[in-house]
Amino acid sequence: MDPLLDTAPCGFFSVNDDGTVVRANATLRNYLGAETLVGHHVDALLSRGAKIFYQTHVFPLLRVEGEVNEVYLSLRTAGGDDLPVLLNATRHTGNDGAVNDAVVVPMRRRNQFESELLQAKHAAEEASRARARFLSVLSHDLRAPLSAINLAAHMLAEEALGPVTDAQRRDLDRIRESSAYVLRLVTDLLNFSRVDAGRVTVRVRATALSDVLDRATDIVEPLAAEAGVAFIRTPQAATGAVLADPERLQQVLLNLLTNAVKFTDPGGHIRVETEETDDLVRLHVRDTGRGIAPEEIERVFEPFVQLAQPDDAPRDGAGLGLAISRELVRAMGGDLTVESVLGEGSSFTIALPAAPAGEPAVS
Amino acid sequence: MTADILARNNVTVTGRGTQPMLFAHGFGCDQTMWRFVAPAFEEDYRVVLFDYVGSGRSDLGAYDPERYGSLEGYAQDVLDVCERLDLHEVVFVGHSVSSMIGALAAREAPDRFAHLIMIGPSPCYLNDGDYAGGFDRADLEGLLDLMDKNYIGWANFLAPVVMKNEERPGLTRELEESFCSTDPVAARRFAEATFFSDNRADLAEVPVPALVLQCSEDAIAPDAVGDYVHRHLPRSTFHHLAATGHCPHMSHPEETIGAMKAYLADAGLPA
Repeated sequence: MDPLLDTAPCGFFSVNDDGTVVRANATLRNYLGAETLVGHHVDALLSRGAKIFYQTHVFPLLRVEGEVNEVYLSLRTAGGDDLPVLLNATRHTGNDGAVNDAVVVPMRRRNQFESELLQAKHAAEEASRARARFLSVLSHDLRAPLSAINLAAHMLAEEALGPVTDAQRRDLDRIRESSAYVLRLVTDLLNFSRVDAGRVTVRVRATALSDVLDRATDIVEPLAAEAGVAFIRTPQAATGAVLADPERLQQVLLNLLTNAVKFTDPGGHIRVETEETDDLVRLHVRDTGRGIAPEEIERVFEPFVQLAQPDDAPRDGAGLGLAISRELVRAMGGDLTVESVLGEGSSFTIALPAAPAGEPAVS
Repeated sequence: MTADILARNNVTVTGRGTQPMLFAHGFGCDQTMWRFVAPAFEEDYRVVLFDYVGSGRSDLGAYDPERYGSLEGYAQDVLDVCERLDLHEVVFVGHSVSSMIGALAAREAPDRFAHLIMIGPSPCYLNDGDYAGGFDRADLEGLLDLMDKNYIGWANFLAPVVMKNEERPGLTRELEESFCSTDPVAARRFAEATFFSDNRADLAEVPVPALVLQCSEDAIAPDAVGDYVHRHLPRSTFHHLAATGHCPHMSHPEETIGAMKAYLADAGLPA
């Protein structure tokens, strides 16, 4: 062994494809408290879990790619303790056949730190799953009675059970509006909990953009007219086909368009246009509304975050629409982004893969 | 749906023969692991390679944690590929956990398979009474910890870079690295399905003839485990390789090819 290797502040060993250790430096022997390592099988250096990882990941990677870098492994000392190390290894072929040289650096403190990070990550993931379960159960349990309240108020107002006075009708209308509002919130919560738990299924297929836009236009145009906002659909917005789930895409588009109506003052306009490249279609929803402050723009896709409402507008929704929309678009293999200038307007962009030419589009 | 399976499982077909030889990779890697062995059979067989969903260049969008939470889900991948390519009289070659996956597939659809070649099989990795699988639960928890720590860098640093590729949003989860670049969630699930399964009772129900290739000094599937598989598989042949370790098809491909060809010749198949 080269004296330099023996005094190097890291472990070094060579192993052949049989798994036999053919060289090991003094530093590694010291780490492991072993008098000799040469001639032993590499398994003897490894903890039991690490034996599997070495055989299923490290050796195959070395064999195919010729090197591995920054692999975390756990060595086994002569005293039976685990020694966490970081391993780099390369493979070369000499006169005696292929040999794999490896360097290991102990990482006890870093390992402890990473264990704590992992524990925190797992706890956060479990908390997220618990939240999703809670939201899902809560939403399911609330929907049925809310629907019943809404239906009962409707029937009373329609005088199904006998005549009602004007004052009674006004109260019944308030019951219906309020229950419908809470039902919308609950539906958003339910949708979000499904998205959050990864339980939303999207059926991606070639989808004609014009059909999705037609249906959205039918719903949004009257809302925009009522709000005094011009709704402009550029001619090229009706072309092309994308790979998407048409119903989910429509849900996202409606969310963006109704937001645009809500945040655009009378006299302003909403413009829908598309931009196509070879493999991508971008659908832009631009408005001349109040825009989003730079400090808020990163947060608009976070759940339970609401954009600042118009001064006289009531609080509307749970702040889940954009969070759901982005997750849906991502589930379809695309992305939803936003650009905005405060006081001038916002532009939300749905980017989706273009459908391959010749693939029939569904509507 | 069938049209998608070739892409879903990243199926590649080579060879000049007609009888299919289907190679199934083990846990941790992908079909690339067969590069030292598969070409030796291209002259006589229709060689089919694939990646399980969640591994290699498979379609991660098709990953279903429930389906791939047990080995039956992976066996269904094998059967899907067989059905899609209309394979019959298949010589199935499985490494490590894929030996048992192949056994489950053969039990489900025995008519598809002519022979199973099992490299380093184990029906149960956990020690259980008199059965010495080789590992205790704590050992396997240690493996999962190693995986978490090695994959965490992958998950936290590489994935966001890929996802920022706005020009190719459809490819956000497709990794450019091929070998061993498995999705961390899928890899952990595969590890759990592999190492916490107990398929000992299934061995007796496999009606297809099989070759058990046992490595020397295999820490993952020791001699006693290979012997157990041989004793409980009704129509098995046992061959002990001089090759050490758990991946003889990578460390000692010539010996592995020789053992496979000898078995196939004895069975009257091209070799």
